[in-house]
Amino acid sequence: MARTTFRHRTKLSLASAAAALALGFAAWTGSSWYAAAHDDSAHFARTRDEVLAAGEQAVLNMNTLDHRDLERGLDAWEQSATGDLLDELREGRVEFEKQVRTARTVTTADVLSGAVTELDEREGRAGVLIAVRITVDPPKKKPSTKESRLLGELTRTGDGWKLSGLGQAPAGETPTDTPSD
Amino acid sequence: MSTTRHMVNRQRRLAAVKARETPTPAPRAPRPRPKSGEKPARTARGAVPRPLLLALLTLLAVLAAAFAVFAHSRAEAARDLPALRNTALTDTARTSEVKGTVGQAVDAVFSYDHAAPGRTEKAADKYLTGKAVGQHRDMLAQVRSQGDRQKLVLSTTVTHSGVEVIDEDRARVLVFADQSNTSTAKGGSATHAAAMFAVDVVHRGGAWRIANIDTFSR
Repeated sequence: MARTTFRHRTKLSLASAAAALALGFAAWTGSSWYAAAHDDSAHFARTRDEVLAAGEQAVLNMNTLDHRDLERGLDAWEQSATGDLLDELREGRVEFEKQVRTARTVTTADVLSGAVTELDEREGRAGVLIAVRITVDPPKKKPSTKESRLLGELTRTGDGWKLSGLGQAPAGETPTDTPSD
Repeated sequence: MSTTRHMVNRQRRLAAVKARETPTPAPRAPRPRPKSGEKPARTARGAVPRPLLLALLTLLAVLAAAFAVFAHSRAEAARDLPALRNTALTDTARTSEVKGTVGQAVDAVFSYDHAAPGRTEKAADKYLTGKAVGQHRDMLAQVRSQGDRQKLVLSTTVTHSGVEVIDEDRARVLVFADQSNTSTAKGGSATHAAAMFAVDVVHRGGAWRIANIDTFSR
């Protein structure tokens, strides 16, 4: 009888110790997980990568156009844009369509490199620097490539980050360090 | 309705206060009457029989351990994301340090004055390392060979730059620069060019140095 009690007691205290130890570990790793998931700089880093991916994709979309499939191409342009840039695109769409139909060009682009230069998470605005190589393939002529230095401004929308401004980096004597707006 | 609820709550509160104030009653008699031969301590533990308690504790230990392992792996995964390894922009001090150094370095090593070619050499010694030394030599070879005759002055100004990646002691920066190449000889002219390239920099001996120049050539 006493022996059974002793065994029971040992088992119980062992189980209690194991449970306490495991709970301790669980609390420790749990809080570390929480901290990792709610790390501000981690969130910022993920947003930065999100902004860059959105910026590069948008630049790619806006430098890709096939005269045989204008509607889809230009829809993709508009989907990548918001704000002033979107207004501009919509305004110029009809005229632009006409031009591309006449020229019958196929334009493709490669993003060579890109960087986020500024990011304001609270305001939902960001600036990017993107280097692209654009290939224009006209009918009956050899395709030509040109490299383009782009400055983009992105704004957060309900549907992700979109370009609200895009332009060539001005080539001049005046050094500036902010995207043109 | 709300009045009634108020009243009910109030009564509850009052009852609770009263309950607290009344002295605790004498300990109740042990509920399950101890059977002869059994120690009271065993049954006094309450309604949970021992084997069940043991099982519950074991289950708790197993569950907690499982959670600990899971949480640990999740925390590690969250910390090990490539996004987090890259501290461009998140580490503002380091980002502006890298950006600043690259700006100075590019301005200096891609500027050349036929009257003072040593200045470019010195800048190259200071800011370049590894593969970039040879790349820079090749890039400036033409300017150097014609420099004296045409009295060339090449100047480079970084207009925009963005830090793509900082991974501890390595970083990559995208650079947009304006270049002007002026021949100050008689009948000489000036040409302007817009340049874009990326540089890989490494942190060595307390300073960032350009280790590779990527001109995106195919």
